[in-house]
Amino acid sequence: MENTINFGIDLGTTNSAIAKFVKGEVIVFNNPLDYGRATLPSVVAYLKDKIIVGSKAKELFEKQKKDAFTQAFFKRKMGTSESFPIKSQNRSVTPIELSAQVLKELKTFVNTGDTLESVVITIPASFDLIQSNATKEAGYQAGFKQVVLLQEPIAASLAYANMKKSKELNDGQWLVYDFGGGTFDVALIKIKDGEMKVIDHEGNNFLGGADIDQMIVDKLVIPKINAEFSFENLEDEMKSASGKLNSKYYTLLYNAEKAKINLSAVSSAEIEVVGFEDEDGNEVDFEMTITRSELNELIKNAVDSTIEMIKTILTRNSLGSKDIQFTLMVGGSTYIPYVRQRVEEILQIPVNCEIDPTTAVAVGAAYYAATKQKEISKSDKQQKKTALSIKASYNKASKEKDELFAARVTGETEGLFYKIVRQDGGFDSGLKKLTERISEDLPLVENAYNFFSLTVYDSLNNVVETDIEPIGINSGFGISGQPLPEDICLEVDDLDNPGSTRLFLLFQRNTILPTKRTVTFPLNKTVLKGSNDEVIKVNVLQGSHLSLPESIKTIGYIEISGKNLKRDISKGSDIEITITISDSQDLTASAYLTMADQEFKETFNPKERHMPVNLLKEQVEVLSDKLEEEIEQATEKEDYETASALSKLKKEMEVVAEETESLTPDDVTDKRYQLEDKKRKIAQEIDSATKHKRLQKVREHYFETKEECLKLINDSGNDHERKTYNDIVAQEDAFMSTNSPIKIQEKSDELHSIIGQIKWRTPEFLKGIFNWLKNEQHKMRDQTEAKSHIDSGNFAIESQNWDRLREINFALLDQLPRGAKEQITTKIGFGL
Amino acid sequence: MNEQIKVPKIYIDLLDQVFEIEKKVEALTESNSISRNVSRLKEIFEQLETDGGLFYHNPIGESYNETRTDIEASIAGNSADNLIITEVIKPIVRYRKGGITLIARKGIVVAESKS
Repeated sequence: MENTINFGIDLGTTNSAIAKFVKGEVIVFNNPLDYGRATLPSVVAYLKDKIIVGSKAKELFEKQKKDAFTQAFFKRKMGTSESFPIKSQNRSVTPIELSAQVLKELKTFVNTGDTLESVVITIPASFDLIQSNATKEAGYQAGFKQVVLLQEPIAASLAYANMKKSKELNDGQWLVYDFGGGTFDVALIKIKDGEMKVIDHEGNNFLGGADIDQMIVDKLVIPKINAEFSFENLEDEMKSASGKLNSKYYTLLYNAEKAKINLSAVSSAEIEVVGFEDEDGNEVDFEMTITRSELNELIKNAVDSTIEMIKTILTRNSLGSKDIQFTLMVGGSTYIPYVRQRVEEILQIPVNCEIDPTTAVAVGAAYYAATKQKEISKSDKQQKKTALSIKASYNKASKEKDELFAARVTGETEGLFYKIVRQDGGFDSGLKKLTERISEDLPLVENAYNFFSLTVYDSLNNVVETDIEPIGINSGFGISGQPLPEDICLEVDDLDNPGSTRLFLLFQRNTILPTKRTVTFPLNKTVLKGSNDEVIKVNVLQGSHLSLPESIKTIGYIEISGKNLKRDISKGSDIEITITISDSQDLTASAYLTMADQEFKETFNPKERHMPVNLLKEQVEVLSDKLEEEIEQATEKEDYETASALSKLKKEMEVVAEETESLTPDDVTDKRYQLEDKKRKIAQEIDSATKHKRLQKVREHYFETKEECLKLINDSGNDHERKTYNDIVAQEDAFMSTNSPIKIQEKSDELHSIIGQIKWRTPEFLKGIFNWLKNEQHKMRDQTEAKSHIDSGNFAIESQNWDRLREINFALLDQLPRGAKEQITTKIGFGL
Repeated sequence: MNEQIKVPKIYIDLLDQVFEIEKKVEALTESNSISRNVSRLKEIFEQLETDGGLFYHNPIGESYNETRTDIEASIAGNSADNLIITEVIKPIVRYRKGGITLIARKGIVVAESKS
């Protein structure tokens, strides 16, 4: 059990934060509902049945909402007798209560499992005793047992001192310049004999970053719109709540803030002004550039007013610039370069921007907390144990946008609250009173599994244990949708084995329907408009993607010939294939040719198989040839077992071929489907009879490649190549045991690409390629250029400049006519 | 507690631009096939990884209240009752992995009362 406080809270006018000291470092907790932000806007809203704190409350600030009351900037009223009436609830809240709500909300940031009982809370240097006591009281109301106060400028200085790792600062004095989102403060700090003290301070409670954003819109953007378009009273239309362009004002404020932030890094930024019309009906659509100097000019007066305050402090304390070591910059607005420059320039005191201006105060508070002892008696620590049981009921799957969640609570609910949060952070019910029955509409993210958690808190925001499990609701089809019974594949040209085709896996078996996928391939043939010689085939098949294309069944087929085209399409242009399968397994295939901007689309119903007669004829022909070839090969290798198995198939094949030949293209009987079935069976048998042979071949090839690759890596490979190699080898058992020639071939290909990479670095290989290219010179397109490359190549070899030789090889390869580089068969029209 | 996901900012920036283009294409009256390229871009993001990727959701016209922590709203007008999202400055960017989605970037919108 730690006996120092360790937790520090920056309870700010506009934003608050919480940090913890852990083993010499300080961590600032992130806002669980605001990604990447460590701060919580200090705004509280009381709604009919709940209290919300932070950014959601900030959105409601200064707006009218039925039965709602929102308050911000209450820190300015700390220690006064002022209270804020909540009309709908017939009561008032004090600044203390509001601050306590912010402190309670900060407790939920802590994800380290600590129970917070002791904290350090920071206060402005200007706070008097009453205001300080009020802050303490807020801490007690939030459930802390021990509250230690610390002045903000001191906290910032501590953050700086600890960052410098010199726990003790030298005797002297400096300024803390705190320019935040809504307020400005400056303090003079003095350190003497290790004791740090605030000597003097000044501030403006109504000057901050938000005012700068507003200045950008009011003084730069609106005049610009007025100059170029015709509006009678643009400023009013934008700024008054009932104005018809009020919503645009918020968009512009957002864009102005973005531009302001950008201007801290670059010298000019754009603000886009779009989406409305002027009174003459002209569309407002332009981008205006704001330069850093324009921004500087704009904020000059505001910055100068802060400098005046510093001057007042210096005069009051009879100090000159030389007496001050540095000005420590704190608060988000000090990111603006001009603020830093101007302060330094006028005061002639160096500015210090070494700490993170947004979290420095919380960080400093945590460092201070690490030096303070906890003073809580054991008896205080006993926690009320509440035995709560929650029985929940809800639909576990839903197609609705939201789903009703109901629960029954048994146990003492008095004084307890609950909150429901969606796991992705997109929904937060807010803190609501716990009652015996809870009902809540939970909004769902479409087509995803939605997890919610219900947490019960006591009045001090400490978590109360319950027995409720996470709430899981599946939206859309998810588990309720039916899975695909078999793989769905696309037939593509096999670029490694010219003349044959292979399967490209579109959807894996058990994919939940409905599903959709788009794939793009470059075409490997040119199809001329109106011609009939070349066709592109989109053949969608169902069955294992590891088998041969001819052995699984076609479920969708589109043929595109020149007659269908609006214009010629050339090799290398893209074909985009989209396959959609509905939940009732209707397949829609569409092929889009980018060059022609033309789409071919067809829906196939699984009950009526699609089998064009000419496609069947062609497939049968190919299969017969293949069978002949396999028999020949088996006999040659004296593999009589395979040969006799295949010969038996030959007879069946002949019958199928004969019957297919006799089909007319418009045959209406189901004969073609029977034949297709038979053909497929034969193909499967050929596949299994010869699989052994193919497997043997690819395995041998794999091991040869592996050996070659290893040798090259040992000779001249780099770490990355070695890692890639090791990764492949580590998977060896897995892919070998699939017994799939395709899988094993893939791995050999991967090894080959490593070999390629290494070889292109070795002098011997480069010389070899160069010599081969020299012999091919007569084929090259530009003879003069080729000759000049060859001359430089010879020189590169002489001077052993291998990098140069590699470049020359590439240049020479480029000179070869394309056809000579790749002779691809174009059965399908695209491939892998 | 909520799970959070950190996605490289460049992806979010690119998606924001795709969203802008999509909005502009929708406003075009003459026929074109630009939307096809936009869907392609969106698909590329959706398939960033084998079992997941990024996509955005345009919440325009949806109702808004303080429980929607997937959105940062500015409320235009005086009233904050019966809010409808009338302007989307940035869409909600989500990350999908398997069947689960997480918010990668909150949406930024303007909401107005429609009562």
